[in-house]
Order: sequence, then C-alpha cells, then structure tokens
Amino acid sequence: MPSLISPSERDYILKGIECNIRADGRQRPDYREVILETGVISQTSGSARVRLAGGTDVLVSVKADIGPVLVDPETGEGADKGQIICNVECAPSASQQFEGRGADELNNELTQMMTRFLSHNTTTLSTPSSTTPSSTGAPNNNGAGGINLSKLCIIPGEQCWILYVDALVLDYGGNLVDAVFMGTRAAIFDTRIPKTEVQDLGDGNFDFEVLDDAEDTEVVEGREDMPICITLNKIGARHIVDASPLEELCTEAKLVVAVNRSGELCGLQKGQDGGIEPSLLLEMIQFGKTLGQTLIKQLDAKIKAEAEADTIKRQNGQPVVKLGFFAQ
Amino acid sequence: MSHNQIGLRIDGRRPAELRKITSTTCVLSQADGSAYLEHGNTKVLAAVYGPREARHRALVLHDRAILNVELNVAPFSSGERRRRSKNDKRLLEMASFVKQTFEPVVIATLYPRSQIDIYLQVIQHDGGTLQACINATTLALIDAGIAMTDYVCACTAGWVEREAAIDLNYIEESSDTSEVTIAMLPKSSKITLAQMESRLHVDKLEEVFRLAGEGCKQMYEVMDKTIRDRAEDLARKMTV
Repeated sequence: MPSLISPSERDYILKGIECNIRADGRQRPDYREVILETGVISQTSGSARVRLAGGTDVLVSVKADIGPVLVDPETGEGADKGQIICNVECAPSASQQFEGRGADELNNELTQMMTRFLSHNTTTLSTPSSTTPSSTGAPNNNGAGGINLSKLCIIPGEQCWILYVDALVLDYGGNLVDAVFMGTRAAIFDTRIPKTEVQDLGDGNFDFEVLDDAEDTEVVEGREDMPICITLNKIGARHIVDASPLEELCTEAKLVVAVNRSGELCGLQKGQDGGIEPSLLLEMIQFGKTLGQTLIKQLDAKIKAEAEADTIKRQNGQPVVKLGFFAQ
Repeated sequence: MSHNQIGLRIDGRRPAELRKITSTTCVLSQADGSAYLEHGNTKVLAAVYGPREARHRALVLHDRAILNVELNVAPFSSGERRRRSKNDKRLLEMASFVKQTFEPVVIATLYPRSQIDIYLQVIQHDGGTLQACINATTLALIDAGIAMTDYVCACTAGWVEREAAIDLNYIEESSDTSEVTIAMLPKSSKITLAQMESRLHVDKLEEVFRLAGEGCKQMYEVMDKTIRDRAEDLARKMTV
C-alpha cells in the first residue's frame, strides 16, 4: 500500500499541512508518542526497542566483542581507539517494499548514515561543555558520536573493544531514521562492558583478562553526548517532523539533522529530489536542533525512569519482565 | 551434560515437557497478519502479506495462490554475533521446509493468480527455530484470515541421555544427539513435515516420533487458546 498515493490524497495532505492540521490530527511540529524499553534481548551487552505510535518498530542491540585495533594506513590513527561498527537491516515483515532485495538500498543508506554520525572521528576545535578537556591539550578523542573511543581500547596497538550496533526494523510506520537513532542511543545507554585487567609482562608485552563479574561492569563513556536525529520533511512550503508513510510519499525534500544534548550539530543530510531555499534550510536546522534537544531530555527521562523502576523491582525481589511484543 | 537422577533435563524440565510458550497475534501495523511466538528463549516474529497480486508474473498459477517464504535471522540472535547473508543455504532450506509444510494446508485454490508472502524473523535463537517458525506462521496465517484446513503444530524431539525428550534447547541440540522436527495437523494427526538431523537408531525412532506427536498436540492447545482469546477480545471490542 504505501508505495502509491492518489493525487486527491496528496492534495488533502498538502492543504492540511498548510493549515497546520495533519491527517492524524497532529500539528506540524508534533511528534508521535514514543514507547521505549531497554534490555529486551538477552545475550547482548545492551539493547533497546523503540516504538512510534503508528507503527514504526525498531530493535537495536549492542554487542561488545574484543578484536584487533584498526589502524588507518594513511594517518596512522586508531591504534589507541576502540571501534563502533553499525549495521541497519529492514526486515521484510516491515513493509511490502522490503521483500527480497528491496530493502538493500535503504539498509545501506541507514547504515552509512549511522556510521558517519556515530563513529566518524573528528578533532574538534570547540570546547564542548559536556566533555572534560584533556589535561595535555591533545585533540578531542571523542568521535562525532560523542562516545569516547580511546576508553574502549584495551591494549594500545593490539586489542580493543568493538561495539557492534545492530538495528533491526521490524515494522514501518514512517520516520525510520529517528527511531533507529533513538533506539541506538537507548541501547548504548543500556550497554555494560566488562572490566578488563591489563598485566604488563615486560618487554613491551601485555596480557589482559576480562573480569567476568556481571555486577561490576562499565558504562560506555560519552554516551550522554550521543546524538539523535530529527527528520524534517518539506511538503509544499512548510516542513513537518515525524512523517507517516503517506506524508513521506508527499515529501519533496527531506532533511536529517543530528543533534546532541548540548545543541551541537553532529550531522546533516538532505535527501529526495526537491530543493530547499537557503533561508528555509537554516530555519529547518534551527528547528530541528531545538526539537532534538527537547527530545533527548524526554528520552533520557524515560530511560532513567525505567532503570529506577527496575531497581525497585529487584530490591523487592520481584522479577523484572520486559514486555517486548506483549506491551499494548 | 548432566542428567539428574530424578529424570530432569539440563534446564529442569521433564522429558515430555515443553518450554514456556507465549504468543500473541496482530503485532505489526503493515502486515495483513502477524504473530510473535516464544518457545522459552527462542523468539520468532512472523508476518503474512496476502493474498495479493503476484510479483513475478512468470510464477503465477491460474487456479491457485503461490506461497513465498523468507526467513531472516538477526545478527544478535545467538550468543555470538554473526551476520548471515540472505542467500545463506541453511536459511533457504528452512524457508523451503516451511513452504512445503504449508502448501498442502493453505486452501490456495480460493485465491487464484495471487501470492501469499510469509516473512519470518528470528529475533533470538535457543534451539527449535524451525518449530517456532512453523508455529508462528500458523498463527500469522490465521490472523491474516487465510483459509487453512487445520492448524499446523510443530515440535522437535530427540534422544537426550538415554530417553526421548521434546522441545530441545540450544545446548541439547548442539550435543551429540539427533533431532527430529515434526509438523502435524492436530485434527487428523497427519504429518506435513518430518525432518531429522544426525543419526538415530531405528528402534528408538517410534518412541521419538510418538513423543513429538504428543508435543504437537500440546502446542495445539496453546496456540488455539491464543487465537480464541484474541477472537473474544476482538468480538468484545466490536460490540462496545
């Protein structure tokens, strides 16, 4: 159904957006309700499930594995950093268009976007208020995704933690990018990495041991600075957020704005084949930035509330049961 | 692998006991029918689209619907992260098993020149993936309103430590034992799929098959209850 739209339907949506009324009763800047649950998959270091009321359902898992460091042959960088490897997959169950190889292009686009926004390393010139300035004044070791990659390194030049972030889109109800990034942020928040003990064997040789204590684990440092994305769809002369599938079909131009909690712009991507006037572009970016910061606050509050509820349950001896698909 | 003196298996179950099974239907918004099924820690999501216009004109049959099954396994489904390509032979084989199981059951002659798509997503894998897929597909097909002659209930069985046991988990499966997957139509007790891995002594075959059949009947009770509860729920919502 979602790949076709009649001219009357398109007109209806267009005119409605002009009047600030969308098909489901929302206004242009309104987001649908977000249902978030962390720790839904066992055998992972962290996981989360995000559902947008209206159908979009994304499952994100983070697995921390130990592997060799990846050294960039040109710059020689990376010997003292961990890695984040992202992968997004749209299940054929999500929509008719995703069967067989239909989802390949979308998978690749989302994967590349995630990789770019999360693990691309930069040397920032600004002094971000959220990170502590390094004592030696060396360039910021955080990737654009805010996660401290050097903390993930175990033995410099040899072994490091590799975070495999796998996102699975189970149901399509529009606005996949935002849901995937929200889920990733929640999953990284939920991730716990075992502690490692490095022993110096002398002669420049090191050995390490992974401490197998389920209670004594580390969180991913820099996770608060992870960005989320806001997708703005330009329809007619206006723009909306959180588009439904039909609204996405009417979109002329799409702008994905990645913003972190300090309001810094972590990434930008324009899609579809329409054009955006420069003034409107700046307005959209500003709008996305403000909305993004608000959304991050709400998400963090949700994650915190869930963690607190879980702790109370554990203290009372009640089993912590994740609802997953059984949540209505 | 230890086996308790009182005859309990590695996870505390009796030989003829199924794992905790929870299921629910109508979980996806886009699919015509969907179901989510858990066999203990094995979690499978099934989505059914159809009957709809066939994608590949060359495969269209003039008098019946064609069945298309696709099986995907998530990279985080097993303990070790592993990405499987879409053309993984094992997955294709399992998908064709599911197709073969449902072809005689779905009344395809009611939907000529059309296609019924079944998409399976394995979210977590702890043994008994094929049986979970078949059971989830049955629920999803019923949820989609596609006519079938009967439920299809599947159950695995094997020879674990000197006696027959059903619904093997991952540890039992990976041990040096054979595993039989049976898919049965509960009303007529007819078998639409029988698949076995590894070796099994022919003397033990009857016992294993019999136990699997009983396991299927137990599955039927659970699945029927889910469907009936859902139907009652819908009926109640409609009368308000």
